[in-house]
Amino acid sequence: MTVSKKQLVGLGSAAVMASMTFGAGVAMAQDGELRGNIRVVIGSTSTGGDTYQNSSIVVDKLAEQLDLNMKVDAVGASSAFRTLDRDPRGNTLMIFHDQSYLGFLYGVQGYENIFEKYTIGPTVAINPGNAYLVPKDSPYENLDEIIAAVGEGKEVRVAIQPGGVSEIGFSALKNAVAIEYPGQEDNLVAVNTGSQADKNQQLYDDQVDMIHGSVQANEQFTRLPEDDQKAMRFVWLTARQDTIEQAPEDGMGQTSREQLLEYVEPNVTVTMGDDENFTFDKEFFFLYNKEMDSGIVDQIDEALAEVYAEGEIQEVQKNSFFIPNFKPSDEASEYLKNKMSRYEEIIENIQ
Amino acid sequence: MMEFVSLLDVTFFLLAGFGALVGIIFGAIPGMTATMAVAVCLPLTYALGLNNGLALLLGLYVGGISGGMVPAVLLNIPGTPSSITTTFDGYPMAQKGEGEKALRVCVVASVIGGLISAAVLFLFAPMLADFSIKFSYVEKFLIILLALSVIASLSSNMLVGIFSGVIGIWLSLVGVYSISDGGNGKTRLMADFMEPYLYEGFSLLPVLIGIFGISTILLEAEKGVKSELTSDRLKLGKGGVFAFSIFKGRFTNLVRSSFIGTFVGMLPGVGGSAASVLAYTQEKNLSRDSSEMGKGAPQGLMASESANNALTGGALIPLLSLGIPGDSTTAVLIGAFTLQGIQVGPLFIPENANTWYIMMTALVFANIVMFFLMFFAIKHIAKVVMVPKHILYPLITMMCVVGAYAINYGIMFDVWTLLIFGVLGYLIQKIGLEVAPLIIGFILGGQAEIYFVKSLESFGTLSIFFTKSPIAVVLWLLILASVVFSIVMSLKSRAKGRQDVLS
Repeated sequence: MTVSKKQLVGLGSAAVMASMTFGAGVAMAQDGELRGNIRVVIGSTSTGGDTYQNSSIVVDKLAEQLDLNMKVDAVGASSAFRTLDRDPRGNTLMIFHDQSYLGFLYGVQGYENIFEKYTIGPTVAINPGNAYLVPKDSPYENLDEIIAAVGEGKEVRVAIQPGGVSEIGFSALKNAVAIEYPGQEDNLVAVNTGSQADKNQQLYDDQVDMIHGSVQANEQFTRLPEDDQKAMRFVWLTARQDTIEQAPEDGMGQTSREQLLEYVEPNVTVTMGDDENFTFDKEFFFLYNKEMDSGIVDQIDEALAEVYAEGEIQEVQKNSFFIPNFKPSDEASEYLKNKMSRYEEIIENIQ
Repeated sequence: MMEFVSLLDVTFFLLAGFGALVGIIFGAIPGMTATMAVAVCLPLTYALGLNNGLALLLGLYVGGISGGMVPAVLLNIPGTPSSITTTFDGYPMAQKGEGEKALRVCVVASVIGGLISAAVLFLFAPMLADFSIKFSYVEKFLIILLALSVIASLSSNMLVGIFSGVIGIWLSLVGVYSISDGGNGKTRLMADFMEPYLYEGFSLLPVLIGIFGISTILLEAEKGVKSELTSDRLKLGKGGVFAFSIFKGRFTNLVRSSFIGTFVGMLPGVGGSAASVLAYTQEKNLSRDSSEMGKGAPQGLMASESANNALTGGALIPLLSLGIPGDSTTAVLIGAFTLQGIQVGPLFIPENANTWYIMMTALVFANIVMFFLMFFAIKHIAKVVMVPKHILYPLITMMCVVGAYAINYGIMFDVWTLLIFGVLGYLIQKIGLEVAPLIIGFILGGQAEIYFVKSLESFGTLSIFFTKSPIAVVLWLLILASVVFSIVMSLKSRAKGRQDVLS
């Protein structure tokens, strides 16, 4: 059997390629690194909502940076927690927002203390749009008038979704009434509803005086003429002034940043007592299975740090009305724990 | 207005057509739905851009809703929840060897429903949106109640039917009263150990496929393979030849059902299945010759299919003029807009006129493509029933299992749900309970509860159901008419039965 030179070269290079592939395989199998396909579950079932939108932006960039397949799945809070519980390998990650601990504080079934049960990953962004609205022809000009009316014994009804982000602003408001007009806080009544559509509908039916909403979902309604049954106006954005100041100058839709700033501190204040005012930024962050290798935590922290250092993701987020807010895991965990304890006080006060 | 034409290109039409094709396939596979098709392709819209992305998604939407008719008629499995009433007449026709004819009737009815609703959407969207917000919790509850009243006229024995319906409603209440519906987030109707599995209750689609599909397969399996080569399956194509004359005198039915579909689609939270159920009952109550319905009457197919395709236009009305999705598929569709940073709300149409015209073009085009694809492919699709059952049924079971597993992104309990309800569906028919009322109770029960409780919570009194608005009064009259009609029909058929026995 004669073997030609060409064949030999071919054989040799095949061997080299094979060993390279093998070597790469060994390198990939190192512990403490993400590998394979990564599923990112989120705490919302909606693909039209802010959680999905923001997670898509972040996961897209992260997948590019890590050169891995990653997919966002809108499975909802209870499914997401359970899926995460089952996978300590790191092939399932979760992204959610403040609801994850507020649900626990409000005692909602299915929520546990995330700081004990999970590893807190990095924060990635803020949705500054958390808002409260009244009908355009409401007798109440601003939030101060509402607090005063409640203090004088008038019943004010607010449509919220109970047990989380939608309720926390309401709780803070109730707390503020209790501080300023002790004993009158029960005149502020929560009307528990579901989706944004349901909350809006309660307003059209004159069943409530104020609703929880968002800049994104309700901005167009605030631009309708007053005689339109659907017309509304903002009275309060719960975000910090500093957060709104980072929004693009054009704001959202045709409501500019300057207009939005009218509804935050110092123009609108909700006291928490001790000269402190209540604010609430809805923040998105990663959650990991507690057993997951700490190497992966570092790997994601580093990859995201690089993504944010490049600066492109910030533009994308701002275009979609998110405020970029990257904090690596350790910092995020500490920060969110503090945040939770502030809100815990409010919820305890009014109970 | 015409500047949007310059935004259309070949890719746009190809994507809309391709979407319709893929949608039909998704709809036709039991366990895969239009919603899934749209959800799977949603991330693609990033790369495609808004216009082309919308073309694809709307194609998928129209195709997915239409494709559901195929397994409904041929296999007695509703491919999508809204094609449940298609099984009532479609499957009996297929058993008589008229599967191809039944499918053609469905396709024609579908395209008529789709186009009528597209026209209504185009001409009246903002006006209808203003009308739809007059429906508060109270009116929505009454609509559901009206749809539930169909149980009485659908059942062959009214008492057994109502009992089955109540069981269905009971089953729908298992699980959490979700805080996302404004509930208290507590589970009920289960023991503690079931909570990890039943937290969110039984999922609709596995229940539906189980109770229709798996139980049909079990019943067939019981018969054994000996009837394999009987002549009834060779009658295919000879049993009944389709001719457009079948639609003669059915114009009112088609238009009425299309409007019912559009209207129900337009009410956020009422859900697609209610549309075909309502249209089906109205045809049954109002037409002069409804006695054959449920035994293989084309008019039932017309009502069901025109209504469920009319949903597409209807559900887009609140989406585009209130920013609120009308059904589960449009809820996913809204993602295409948010991913592109476009707000949908009351000012969407005036502020995004080009996108609006583009969507209308895609919607109409997708309907037309769907029609031609299906009308001419049916000859081949209908041959599915020629496949020997010992090959066909294991394949269907496999697809059902895969679909059930995939429907909520990989929950194994959904597969168990499928099997539990398959066996339950089999037993139910053995002990003489009725499947259709049970499943309608199951589909509508959850919403009925929420709207009932919320009505009381907001208004604080039971009398509100009668005094809320003129719309409520009209709905009560319709419910009353529906109930009285069912009683009269049942008395008549009983009298007739007795006469037959005597003579």
